[in-house]
Amino acid sequence: MARFLCKLDDIADGEARAFGPFDGGRTKAFVVRKGEHIHAYWDACPHYGDTPMAWRTDAYLNAAGDRIVCASHGAEFEIETGRCLLGAALGKSLRPAPIEATANGELVLKG
Amino acid sequence: MNIIGPDALVFGVDDVEACAKYLVAFGLDPVGVDEKGGRFEALDGTGIVLRRRGDPSLPAPLETGAMLRQIVYGVADEATLGAVADELARDRQVQRRADGGIEATDDHGFALRFQRTIRRKLDLPGERVNAPGAPAQRGVNQIGVWQDMPAKPRTLSHVVCFVPDIAQAEAFYVNRLGFKVTDRLGNSGPFLRPAGTNDHHTLFFIQTPVYMKGCEHFAFHMGGPTELMLAGSRFIKAGYQSFWGPGRHKFGSNWFWYFNSPLGCHVEYDADMDQHDDEWAPRETPMSAEAAQAFLFEHREKWAPGGPPPGMGR
Repeated sequence: MARFLCKLDDIADGEARAFGPFDGGRTKAFVVRKGEHIHAYWDACPHYGDTPMAWRTDAYLNAAGDRIVCASHGAEFEIETGRCLLGAALGKSLRPAPIEATANGELVLKG
Repeated sequence: MNIIGPDALVFGVDDVEACAKYLVAFGLDPVGVDEKGGRFEALDGTGIVLRRRGDPSLPAPLETGAMLRQIVYGVADEATLGAVADELARDRQVQRRADGGIEATDDHGFALRFQRTIRRKLDLPGERVNAPGAPAQRGVNQIGVWQDMPAKPRTLSHVVCFVPDIAQAEAFYVNRLGFKVTDRLGNSGPFLRPAGTNDHHTLFFIQTPVYMKGCEHFAFHMGGPTELMLAGSRFIKAGYQSFWGPGRHKFGSNWFWYFNSPLGCHVEYDADMDQHDDEWAPRETPMSAEAAQAFLFEHREKWAPGGPPPGMGR
């Protein structure tokens, strides 16, 4: 059962948006829009494992908008893969979240 | 050596505008701020200096790319400046600036500056508590809290750094600059107090792999736990992200509330820290959640038991 989150076009190209937490959980998920594609991860830095990454609502990216940054200690992650490229979580990756963009331009949470 | 504590922390950041907005929302006052950066002051004039990451006026960055670029220590007098310069010049380059400040790096490569302190003397009441058995601290008809009461950071309290070699870090500040170890969290690091203050710590180290070398957090003292709770609640309401707290640490007894930030480190409100002198014997305990805090709470939105009075129906 897929749950509707928002329209893809509700998120500007290159921007990030958080959703959740879902079903009484504590962890949000966030997506980064790149053109017609999205990259979705749980909002949990792999450095400590479960700590939120934004410094402000929806603020997950660096100033250039080309990396995900954890606002705990500045670890940087590749948007497309979630792989840590610099800092506290080196060797670790963000955990993908089950959010997809459908053919008719909707973001849905699967499962 | 009469080193008082940090006058300022200098950051070279990617997004000056976002960091400036953040520090003002945190409660610091912008002074001389433009698109290239500026100064963000607590009530006593201590604070944070922002510059662009590539600003040529900044000291060289650590090899990790950490945004903290200089720790500026305020000292009491010229004699201390001279003593620091003489001591550090024994084994490293020390630069004396036109304004009298001196600059060098510590053994991990953190850039340091020492200057006659710029902090202004504060004359403000602390939080006043009424307790049975003790004389009332607030007079009759004086209220303890109101929604929009002032809750501004008063002074830059401390900075915490990630370093790969705790023993080396401790030895430099103790043997070369006269800091005292007040307590130790084993497997983590020492709480350090310079000679010119009684605060439990103005500096703390956490041992990490070398690729994490940099700043873990910095903290500002608030006027008491109520100011800390109010300031933190306002910060959350403005959309900022709590990381840890509110709670109260055991070592130092300071109340804490940590937030994520765009400066690549956490930023903390703290309040009511213990004071120590040279008679104090350091305690040591392994780092753990139990050791780190007396208690821990988590923010929630305002709520109250609801519903109509009994018998009124709905």
